[in-house]
Amino acid sequence: MTERSQEQSTDATDAIDTTDTDRRWRKSISVINSLLQWASVTVHAIRHRRRLGLLVSIVGSIYFGLYLWGIGHLAPGLGGWGLTVVSNPLATFTTPALGPFSYRPIARLQIGAFTYLFSFNSVIGLALAILVGMNVAGSVLLWRQPTTCGLRGASGGILAGVPGLISGTACCGPIILLVVGVQASGVIITAFELLVPAAIGILTISLVVIGRQIEQIP
Amino acid sequence: MPARRHFLASVGTTTVAALTAGCSGRINESESDTTEQASQQSTTVSPTETGASIPTRENTLPLPLSPSALREAAQSGGPEKDGIPSIDNPTFVSSDKTEILDPGDPVLGVVHNGITKAYPQAILVLHEIVNDTFGDENITVTYCPLTGTAQGFDRGETTFGVSGRLINNNLVMYDRATETWWPQMLATAIPGPWNESPTIHSLTPIRVTWTTWKQWKQRHPDTRVLSTQTGYAKNYGRDPYGSYNPLRGYYADERLLFPALHQDDRYPKKTIVHGARTPEGAAAFHKESLRQAGVLSGTIDELSVIAVYDPELDTGYVYENPEEMTVTRDQEQGQVIAPDGSRHDPSSLPLTRVYSFDAMWFAWAGYYPETAVYAND
Repeated sequence: MTERSQEQSTDATDAIDTTDTDRRWRKSISVINSLLQWASVTVHAIRHRRRLGLLVSIVGSIYFGLYLWGIGHLAPGLGGWGLTVVSNPLATFTTPALGPFSYRPIARLQIGAFTYLFSFNSVIGLALAILVGMNVAGSVLLWRQPTTCGLRGASGGILAGVPGLISGTACCGPIILLVVGVQASGVIITAFELLVPAAIGILTISLVVIGRQIEQIP
Repeated sequence: MPARRHFLASVGTTTVAALTAGCSGRINESESDTTEQASQQSTTVSPTETGASIPTRENTLPLPLSPSALREAAQSGGPEKDGIPSIDNPTFVSSDKTEILDPGDPVLGVVHNGITKAYPQAILVLHEIVNDTFGDENITVTYCPLTGTAQGFDRGETTFGVSGRLINNNLVMYDRATETWWPQMLATAIPGPWNESPTIHSLTPIRVTWTTWKQWKQRHPDTRVLSTQTGYAKNYGRDPYGSYNPLRGYYADERLLFPALHQDDRYPKKTIVHGARTPEGAAAFHKESLRQAGVLSGTIDELSVIAVYDPELDTGYVYENPEEMTVTRDQEQGQVIAPDGSRHDPSSLPLTRVYSFDAMWFAWAGYYPETAVYAND
């Protein structure tokens, strides 16, 4: 084989590789697009039903409160009233604290017997709360359909939110281990680091599944 | 004596021997809470690459394992380096201005350089380290919630931080000058990922007394108290592990968050002992027994020691007692009576004091598995 023909062969192989890569990318984007569309179907369906919107608000608020309680950012405190803000809030807002997906609070709000700590975890908690609320509302929507439709509201919405609730860590180790009496190990510590992304992932997938089922409603 | 216990004594001694000429002699009597440091502190200063220095002891304390084995035993507690933030610019308030302390709440008390300070456990549980200054001396006050241990150290020109690692459930500190790991109870350098080959030596201790706010305030009415204005937005009304007042949660039950380095079932895990260790070995005094007896005798290696209880602060002091002097307690006065009839406060016997501190039994036994334990029969 001459040098020229070798070069041509290499170019052709590269072109095939590039085409394969492009195809894979296009396929991935298409899958993501479909997933988002199904998720948006759920959101759309809930938005057009006021009662379900109210349900999202109620469930989300409860979950948000439980999440903050679980990570220790809403708890009984020293009492009194007051607001304390750290000296460099913007830089502190994204400073990691007790582990991955745990951030340093930038403000302390003392509200009588309770103390609320505001951190990036409040944003994460809010996102989780909306996802949990949507899951519950979507499940209710499916559950209320006539059985002849063959649809079931089998969303794991609330259960999928549990990992987020137990993701709180103390100074040295996950708080929940103190409750269940299990000793921490490297595996458990790593598992706890994955709780928040796991919760977000499961809740999003659940929302997609609900969306697919809602699409089948006549 | 087992070889591993003495593994490092010679290493550290050799390392610093050339620098210890002129180290301080022993002081036999003082009313200061920091008497023992005079007998253990050397003027040795370890120069570091950054120019900062960390004062270290003349003799290295015993380690339960080789330094590299201790490094292997370290495990992540979850937080990364400085995830638990040390307090580097502490502010203090007068005793009548503190807003967080009930009479029975635990505080860590320090008297040093004529200055008296109290550090509420409620604040330290969320920071573990306070890099403070007493007059012209830089001191770090440390607390590990999982082992219930509080110790102070001369920090020289550097500061200490929380590494995020634990050994034997015990806080592993690091110094910011050399990035060396220092397990808090062992107070001795070990290699770590940020400094693979540190000089193996031990920190110069400063007495920290674990007591209640009521007792500390009665003894030191002019004490200053660490303020909640730490520079961090934390909830100092919430101890994530439980409570000491009343006793509950992690502090009260038998469960550990991480495995202990060595199991010893002689006492329940969270039983408080008052421990003392020297380069020659370790001894522990059962705290409740010490409370009842007032005075307990024991030995560290072949050296006789006595532990004396201070009822005003609910703490103990350990002294070398080479002459095996018999002392008795005057329960009404809270004083100790020497054989010649002289009376002394528990903190100021005419003997050389050994650095000692309270610890949970499992932690003491984990780090000093061959420790003797002395209790009331």
